[in-house]
Amino acid sequence: MAFIEAEGLTKTFTVRKKREKGRLLREKTRVKALDSLNFTIEKGELVGYIGPNGAGKSTTVKLLSGILTPDGGTARVNGLVPWEQRRQHVKRIGVVFGQRSQLWWDVPILDSFDLLRDIYQVPEADYRRRLSELTEALRLEEFLRTPLRLLSLGQRMRAELCGSLLHGPELLFLDEPTIGLDAVSKLALRDFLKQENARHGTTVLLTTHDMEDIAALCSRVMVLGHGRKLFDGALPDLLQRYDTRRIITLRYDGDAALPDLPAGCACAEEGEGYRIDYSPDQIPTAKLIALLQGAGNIRELTAQPQNIDHLIAAMYREMDL
Amino acid sequence: MDTIRLYIKSMRMLMKSQLQYPASFLMQTLAQLVMEGGEMLAVILIVDRFDRLNQWMPGDLYFFFGLMSVTFYLTEVFGRGVTGAFPGMVRSGQLDTLLLRPRGVLTQTLCSAIDPRRFACIAVGTAALALGSRLSRISWTPLKGLLLAESVLFGMLLILGLFMIEAVFCIYSVKSVELVNAITYGGRSACQYPIDIYARPLRVLFTVAAPFALVMHVPAAYILDKPLYGWPAWTAFVCPLAGAGVFAVMYLVFRRAMRHYRSTGS
Amino acid sequence: MNAYFTVFRMRWKMELQYRGAVIGGVVCQVFFGLILVSLYRALYASKPQTMPIEAVASYVWLQQAFFRMQLSSDSELMDKIRTGGIAYDLCRPLDLYGYYYVRILAQKLLGSLLRAAPMLVFAFLLPRGVGLGLPVSLPALAAFLMCLTAGLLCTCALENLTMAFTMRTLDSRGVQAMLNLLMMILSGNVLPLTLYPDSWQKVITLLPYAQVLDTPIRIYTGQYALADVPRALLIQLAWVLLLVWAGESMWRRHQKRLIIQGG
Repeated sequence: MAFIEAEGLTKTFTVRKKREKGRLLREKTRVKALDSLNFTIEKGELVGYIGPNGAGKSTTVKLLSGILTPDGGTARVNGLVPWEQRRQHVKRIGVVFGQRSQLWWDVPILDSFDLLRDIYQVPEADYRRRLSELTEALRLEEFLRTPLRLLSLGQRMRAELCGSLLHGPELLFLDEPTIGLDAVSKLALRDFLKQENARHGTTVLLTTHDMEDIAALCSRVMVLGHGRKLFDGALPDLLQRYDTRRIITLRYDGDAALPDLPAGCACAEEGEGYRIDYSPDQIPTAKLIALLQGAGNIRELTAQPQNIDHLIAAMYREMDL
Repeated sequence: MDTIRLYIKSMRMLMKSQLQYPASFLMQTLAQLVMEGGEMLAVILIVDRFDRLNQWMPGDLYFFFGLMSVTFYLTEVFGRGVTGAFPGMVRSGQLDTLLLRPRGVLTQTLCSAIDPRRFACIAVGTAALALGSRLSRISWTPLKGLLLAESVLFGMLLILGLFMIEAVFCIYSVKSVELVNAITYGGRSACQYPIDIYARPLRVLFTVAAPFALVMHVPAAYILDKPLYGWPAWTAFVCPLAGAGVFAVMYLVFRRAMRHYRSTGS
Repeated sequence: MNAYFTVFRMRWKMELQYRGAVIGGVVCQVFFGLILVSLYRALYASKPQTMPIEAVASYVWLQQAFFRMQLSSDSELMDKIRTGGIAYDLCRPLDLYGYYYVRILAQKLLGSLLRAAPMLVFAFLLPRGVGLGLPVSLPALAAFLMCLTAGLLCTCALENLTMAFTMRTLDSRGVQAMLNLLMMILSGNVLPLTLYPDSWQKVITLLPYAQVLDTPIRIYTGQYALADVPRALLIQLAWVLLLVWAGESMWRRHQKRLIIQGG
């Protein structure tokens, strides 16, 4: 049996529409947030979970962590049904919402951790060991006695992570953990997650819009759209499917105009030069460059693959999300 | 036992964080003192003009007022999570965080807020109780003291239960705070006076649906050595249990409602 | 002028959107009305007073129906003051006093009309001595409406001044709560002013809080005879002028100070 098994998970929300003129009662519509979703995750996997806003990612996390009850389907995490055996279940998981705090705003974070220990009933020895390990790994020492409200966003996220890992969960849900963080904090956070996964075999389900997070951390990625799973596999496989276009940026000596390019090439002025978006399947790169050379003296030319965000955007477009 | 320890620890921590802003805290406490003082002033002025209310003398009226005040505001201090914070927690999604922890939702809700400003109101209520006790020349016995404690305790459960109606409305995202206020704050205003001044429908409401009469007025009548509305003396000790009954019913409703909780945000 | 109409229109739309809250508010207020009338009837049964019980019942119902006129209600504006967002408004090239005045007026007028109408109908249908009685005479009704309008202008000026005042204090919430409470006690909401000790009444009825509802209601129930109306109206208007003057100069000073200090 797999560590996480979801079968036919379905969740519908009733949304009240704005009242239309001449109608006494508001109309209600039912929106399917999840539409019979199936997947399994093995112990120790690091899985990225992506999809546009409103695809149902958060709903999945809320179902798997026992906050919501589904309308249909079942799920088992480590043998437990989250929404039926909520208390036993949440003892073994940790959840970090990037935009929501689980620590206490006005008190030193150490006091928050202390209270969390009592809430989770963590044995004293385990707590000591775990706290010192996390304090070191997340470099919390210098601000353990500072109230949460005085911490920077990066420090706060580290504290949140520590709070959700204190009871040694086997499964960690991360919802947009890097949102708003600076580059240094992001890198440090990714390193920490990798390390935690390697050391304790913690299974991680990471929801994010930051593709760099996925690329750096996840061996596997699931794409969700309109409540359905659209892709499940390795990130390179996903990219290869949509990575059909290349970008050339170039600058001419003087102000030479671009030659007429074949259909399927999109060009735009960029600074003093041009940016051309094309598909090598339609026009081979060498042929395109030869064409460009004909129009003038090229001073500078770079060719590059498409930005990962553009790829994902193209993919969402193609999947009609 | 462990739950009680957790509650006490939470309360201590929340107190600490409230005292981080001492000026604001003092100012708001003062405002509460004036507020409850104003409520008591109304009773004083009524006594001044009317001398008595049916068979109840001024001291009795102060006693009724004090009993309600102490009970209601003790609930507000220690049950702030339910009486005040819950709707905000549903709206902000804080309730999600509670659901992620291996404890009961109600326990954690109670652990998540305290309102020490209301101690000012309790002080006024205690003063009213003392004043009423003197004026009515109550002859205190251990049994009466016990009954007073029982009445306050079960009164707190009753008020907590009534506020849970609002909590349940919130879970179903029904916005009608005013409607629920009629039963909670309205109940407080109504039942700080003896129940017998009201017409039958209101008496039934405050005996059956929101049994302030059973939880507070019957014990108060016993303590004041008044006839218990024709009931034998021992009923004074049994009636307050109705408060626990309301709380138990609302607890079950609350648990059922939580199954329909639909979180906010994306 | 157009901007002021827009304020009214937007408020009207908002009130209609929260119909649930309006209905809940009406039920709650009716409930409080029933409780208070019961209390005073029981008190009167023990010791009748010079003011007849029918008049007390009318007093209670009119107080409950126009409850919205008293409580400070602009939580949006209060939040702005608390968070300091008010600075944006202070920098705007508009007559702040007038703008806020109209905002408050729209809120109180529309809010209380919407609630008062169903409540008054309900109270009117209750039996005599429990519900709302008829005004003592037709001219009294006219005078009541006139003084109610003056009372509305007075309460708006009062709230606007309060708003300006709380901006200067450290903790606006505490001050606001305190002032609200003063309003509830001294306007006759907690206990009809007519039931205060007679010696107190001489002073209390002169305060601005009494001008809002107490004065109009006394005319309705006949506590003030028609001959007293000019005097009552004069006191009301004097307060309106004084409060508007005080509020306006305070807002102007805020604005000036902000411009000098550069925010």
